[in-house]
Amino acid sequence: MGYIELNVLNNETTTVAMGIDLGTTNSLAALWQDGRPVVIKPDGKNGKIPSVVQFPGPNAIPLVGGKALEQAVVDPRNTIFSIKRLMGRGLADVQDDLAAFPFPVTENVRGLLQIDVHGKPMTPQEISSLILMRVHDLACRAMSGNEVVKAVITVPAYFDEPQRQATRDAARLAGIEVLRIINEPTAASLAYGLDRRGEGTVVVYDLGGGTFDVSVLRIEDGVFRVLATSGDTHLGGDDLDRALIDMIRGELSEQLGPDELNDPAFLQAAKLAAEKCKVELSAHPRADLHLMVPDRRVSFRRTISREDFEAAIAPLVERTLDACRLALSDAGLTNSDIDEVVMVGGSTRVPAVLKRVEEFFGRKPHTELNPDEVVALGAAVQAHVLTGGNRDILLMDVIPLSLGLETMGGAVDKLITRNSTIPCQSTEGFTTHVDNQTGIDFNVVQGERELASDCRSLGRFKLTGIPPMPAGMPKIAVRFHVDADGLLTVSAKDESSGATASIEIQPMHGLTDAEVEGMLEASFANAQADFDARRVVDLKAELETMLRVTEKHLTTAREHLDPESLTDLEDAVRSGKHAMTLNDPREIQTVRDGFERATLPLAALLMDSVAKSALAGKKLDEV
Amino acid sequence: MPECPACHAPLETPLACGACGALIEVEGESDPFALFGLARGWELDAGELKKRLLRFGRMMHPDFYAAAGDAARELAERNTAALNEAHDVLANDFRRADWLVRALGGPTESDERQMPQAFLMDVLDWNETLDDARGAAPGSAEIRALDELGETLSSERGEAFVRIGALLTPLPDPGSDALGRLRRELNAVRYLDRALRELKSLRLQHASTR
Ligand SMILES: [Zn+2]
Repeated sequence: MGYIELNVLNNETTTVAMGIDLGTTNSLAALWQDGRPVVIKPDGKNGKIPSVVQFPGPNAIPLVGGKALEQAVVDPRNTIFSIKRLMGRGLADVQDDLAAFPFPVTENVRGLLQIDVHGKPMTPQEISSLILMRVHDLACRAMSGNEVVKAVITVPAYFDEPQRQATRDAARLAGIEVLRIINEPTAASLAYGLDRRGEGTVVVYDLGGGTFDVSVLRIEDGVFRVLATSGDTHLGGDDLDRALIDMIRGELSEQLGPDELNDPAFLQAAKLAAEKCKVELSAHPRADLHLMVPDRRVSFRRTISREDFEAAIAPLVERTLDACRLALSDAGLTNSDIDEVVMVGGSTRVPAVLKRVEEFFGRKPHTELNPDEVVALGAAVQAHVLTGGNRDILLMDVIPLSLGLETMGGAVDKLITRNSTIPCQSTEGFTTHVDNQTGIDFNVVQGERELASDCRSLGRFKLTGIPPMPAGMPKIAVRFHVDADGLLTVSAKDESSGATASIEIQPMHGLTDAEVEGMLEASFANAQADFDARRVVDLKAELETMLRVTEKHLTTAREHLDPESLTDLEDAVRSGKHAMTLNDPREIQTVRDGFERATLPLAALLMDSVAKSALAGKKLDEV
Repeated sequence: MPECPACHAPLETPLACGACGALIEVEGESDPFALFGLARGWELDAGELKKRLLRFGRMMHPDFYAAAGDAARELAERNTAALNEAHDVLANDFRRADWLVRALGGPTESDERQMPQAFLMDVLDWNETLDDARGAAPGSAEIRALDELGETLSSERGEAFVRIGALLTPLPDPGSDALGRLRRELNAVRYLDRALRELKSLRLQHASTR
């Protein structure tokens, strides 16, 4: 029996907002505490939660984080990683990723991606929500009782509308209220307090586990604007490890066959050895790269110098600098225009990376903060602002891609151009093309290309109920509103009749409100089902013990109990045995309670017997 | 100067009150000059515009209403969106001129389709230079021609805005001939801008394939 602790002096739970970096490889959360953002580190660990979910069985509770990652080698089919790459995307967008996924990804009729998990289709939003729930759970525990239900979540600056919407839906499914979705590079700049400099141009260099992003930001009087972003969605720390893994594989190729060299367990061991060596090389000029394959009596050991490693990864680092050049050129700037460089992501600890970035920009990059934590810390700063903690910082983020409507000829009529400060809005007039036309179809698109077919369609809607009039007479005003999270709402008004059309856009690759509601209900139902299942197991265990004990004493009962009590007891045993085949916890509970009543005379009888004194204070099942 | 419905202080912007902090519901006000409390005209002090954007932004940005009720938060969203929309019109020479021509009842883009023959010949020349550069080898004459084209386009654009500014200062009377001339100048800028965009994307392609 546990105790419920009540703090009578401060029994109000305060609502705290957290910042969440929902990453491709790892996720982590930070909170504002004692005047500064702090990363949540449960159990004194580093706070990083691997963005991995493993499903042990059809109805088993999924594992999230480190425990799930451990299963990746054993059960690759049901261990889902890199889910962020699938958020708000269609099958055609993720062809490059599919080959690397050991789990099958399909697209439903609505263009929504699904992963088959033990026969049940799950959307990326649902899987992400499991990661967010875990993050949320740890944050709540860290705050010991204080409610943390609000959050600022970060996304890459290049995330388009459906990707942002999918992130928001995942949070909703996790029961988290999203205060704001902000761009990762903006968050990193906030963490460094760069908003405090009057004006300047900042490059955020973010080399994560599997992705590289570079952003050029302009800061003026506390206003952050993303000028350009570039990157490589398949370049990161994993590729740096691979340079070392390739070294091992090359050397062992004479002793091991191709099957053995490609064996998942061998590769996993090689990856761990490479990671260890890489981390050591960040602190020391040389380190051991050591791997043993005990069942083949093969081992590999070599001392790697920093120079060896630098030479091996040089082409990869150059690829990141190519992306930097492109981003600068897109922003109309050169290296010398950059005032600050911020390093994000664990891979920026590699000295060779740091050195080349410093050479390229001609200035020392910011590395004062832990590069794994910078984004979450910045998100916590913004969460603090949004909960009324600070009015000095004003983040004015911009929309990364233009939004528009497809015109009659298949071109794009841009209503909101990229880099507009959000929230923003725009209204455009439309009319009919044939006499007595009462409806107009609209295709909402996002992108910079001239043709609608080259842009991403966000969804279609139909405006109906236009009064019959000659072509060109109706005046339809379509209004786009992009909120502070970069999410779009569209409304339309027929100015001739004054009628407003309520528009529900069928999102492409996204969930409708009804679908989110349905998933939420299902998850509540699942929670109930999980709870019921556990109760059934507990009740049956209890009932089984009661049956066993009763049957053991049935001879005594038949000899000494009054006929009425004996009949009751025998009936109870029969219904008890029957209840072992039931699955409804309420029914089993009723039987169990009846059983307990029916055994009372027997318990009294046994206590009256020789062992009475020894049995005093014991229940029947303890006899 | 309009006054605040809550505290009657004079308002710098009709969207919010700097004195008492009230957010004000504005129906159908789309004059960007009015939203920024500025006099309607071509000449604009860019520094003053930015100062007002930041000052007004701090009065009404939804970040400061995240913990307020739904109604206040939505009003903050709408008013900040209106402020940003107005700023985008005012800060952009093309959009500011376009807005003034429309506000004065001048012709729209499609009302004034005719362009002078000589100008259309220039447009064909630019397109030819751009086409030749597509797929040309780095350092070739075709690529070098892009630099010259870029300078031509930029200087023509600058000259066009000098003429546009002159036509808009002081603001012409509604119905005046100047409005038609302004629209033709603005349509020419559209052609210049399209060519400049293509030029930029060609240069980016070369930068990335390097
Ligand atoms: Zn007032």
